[in-house]
Amino acid sequence: MLDKPQLKSMLDTPVAQRMPREIAPGVFWIGDCLAQRHKGKSYHGYNAAYLVAGTEASILVETGHPKDFPVIERHMNELFARGVAPLKYLFVTHQETPHCGGLGRILKNFPDALLVGDVSDYHLAFPQYEHRMRSMNEGDEIELGGRSLMAVEPVIRDLRTTWWGFDTKERVLFPGDGFAYSHYHEDGHCGLIAEEAVSLDLPDVSSTFADLALFWTKFADMNVYCDRLDHLIARLDVKIIGPTHGLPITDVKTTVPKVQAGLKAAALMPESGTNEKVAAS
Amino acid sequence: MSISTQYAPERTHKPQAFAGGIASLADDRLYALQNPFALDGRVSSYPASARGFAVVNSYLLTQPDAAMLIDTGFGKDEPVIRGQIEALIAPGLPLSMFPLRLNEFMSINNVESFAGHFNVETCYTSNIDAALWFDFGAKAEGRDILKSMKVTAVTRADTIALGKEGRLIDVMQAPIRLIATRWLYDRTTRTLFSSDMFTHVWRDTATGPWIVTEADNDSTSLPDVRSFMLNTRYWWLEGAPTDTIRRGIGNVFDKYDIECIAPGYGCILRGRNVVARHYAMLDEFLKACDKSVAVSRYVTRDEER
Repeated sequence: MLDKPQLKSMLDTPVAQRMPREIAPGVFWIGDCLAQRHKGKSYHGYNAAYLVAGTEASILVETGHPKDFPVIERHMNELFARGVAPLKYLFVTHQETPHCGGLGRILKNFPDALLVGDVSDYHLAFPQYEHRMRSMNEGDEIELGGRSLMAVEPVIRDLRTTWWGFDTKERVLFPGDGFAYSHYHEDGHCGLIAEEAVSLDLPDVSSTFADLALFWTKFADMNVYCDRLDHLIARLDVKIIGPTHGLPITDVKTTVPKVQAGLKAAALMPESGTNEKVAAS
Repeated sequence: MSISTQYAPERTHKPQAFAGGIASLADDRLYALQNPFALDGRVSSYPASARGFAVVNSYLLTQPDAAMLIDTGFGKDEPVIRGQIEALIAPGLPLSMFPLRLNEFMSINNVESFAGHFNVETCYTSNIDAALWFDFGAKAEGRDILKSMKVTAVTRADTIALGKEGRLIDVMQAPIRLIATRWLYDRTTRTLFSSDMFTHVWRDTATGPWIVTEADNDSTSLPDVRSFMLNTRYWWLEGAPTDTIRRGIGNVFDKYDIECIAPGYGCILRGRNVVARHYAMLDEFLKACDKSVAVSRYVTRDEER
């Protein structure tokens, strides 16, 4: 079951107003786009969050970009008002602030919620919530009622303290920095899943993202990482992928090879560095 | 639920003898604001097996009429760092901030608080749209404070003039990095601010010492540097084409007369011989990683080398 957006007037409606989008039963894509300027163009990426709802509890995967907290909170409250199970857990894939910048406000505004995952650094940033932080190891599961979220191998990562998440019911993989690519706002890609964004040039947008945020992928042999990714997807029998920065993937067999081709192509392009100076708009 | 219920080793809750300090690197010019944290397996910038202590370093560059703060430290230290800055600059003195990495708490965690407390003239970043990247909800009015804060974008190769005397600080894209990172070079004190590089010296106790000088018997070795790099955020270097990275770092050390390396974490490396030795160790490590002599392979998350 995929919650279809209205394609008409896509450009006229900010993506934050079109979310939440249910990408699998009980798995809601929330958040907003982040526009970044690069090589004279404006690229849109996501710093998405996902709410995974069981019968007893919900878990938020990622907190979204610091700028997006009001949107994330609004989206969650809309879902809770619709009867989604209360938020009891927060899982963030790693410690970079576009993934976890809303952590302090989530724990403040949802006082029953626990932070789970690799909890490194958070006690240094938000010491007032240290008593609500729980460390997970690979294979550990958080029971939500009828489904669980499992910590799984983070194949594509930057910080060593990364875990990926996996929803055991709908077999949704949450790969953090994996499957990271921007999208074309002008083509109406905001809020679309990958299979709907037919004009997306994956080598171009993958390379752009690598320049901005994944420097190491320009230096490592990405073939071995793609092979390992295939192995993980097969082992977990992944049906849907909910990346933090890319568009959600609902046809794993067709789309993952395209994303991998983009990643490999991006690795062959010389890195061109991070944000150049631009005039304030 | 099968997750661990132990959230913190006991010793991290015990009072520590040293709560942080100000180290003068050049009187009336440059100060290090050093605040310790325990290495207990819960710090992403250090190997999981590292034990002991490190410091997170913020730096304050002072002029008679202006000051600049490089990195703002962790939230846990906000009151201490605020006090350290207050002890060093006059109330109302124009203060600029330069977080070297936009994605990491140690750089940006306290931008919001300091923007609301000090007379912040501008925040230098690599991204003109960065103001709300610093919005962590530290203050109820934090979003408004950040929206009104002036942000000044700097290029990958730029120069900042601090104060009316025009103290020159060179900005460069970090030649080795995980994410968008800037390095700075202060021509006045001949100090390189290296962000997450050269962070490899830590101590057994919270009291340090936190500066390595030429008078010290510094025991850091090439195997130490290798182990540190491969067990932290630079786990991907083995088998990479590191010649380009080496050239980039070499260009920095060729171009600038560096007497002090001021990293974001761990011991400051001070003195020409200390600087030369640690640069040589890093370069030797990178040379040994190059794809001409090493193979790029899949590295699992918890593999320690």
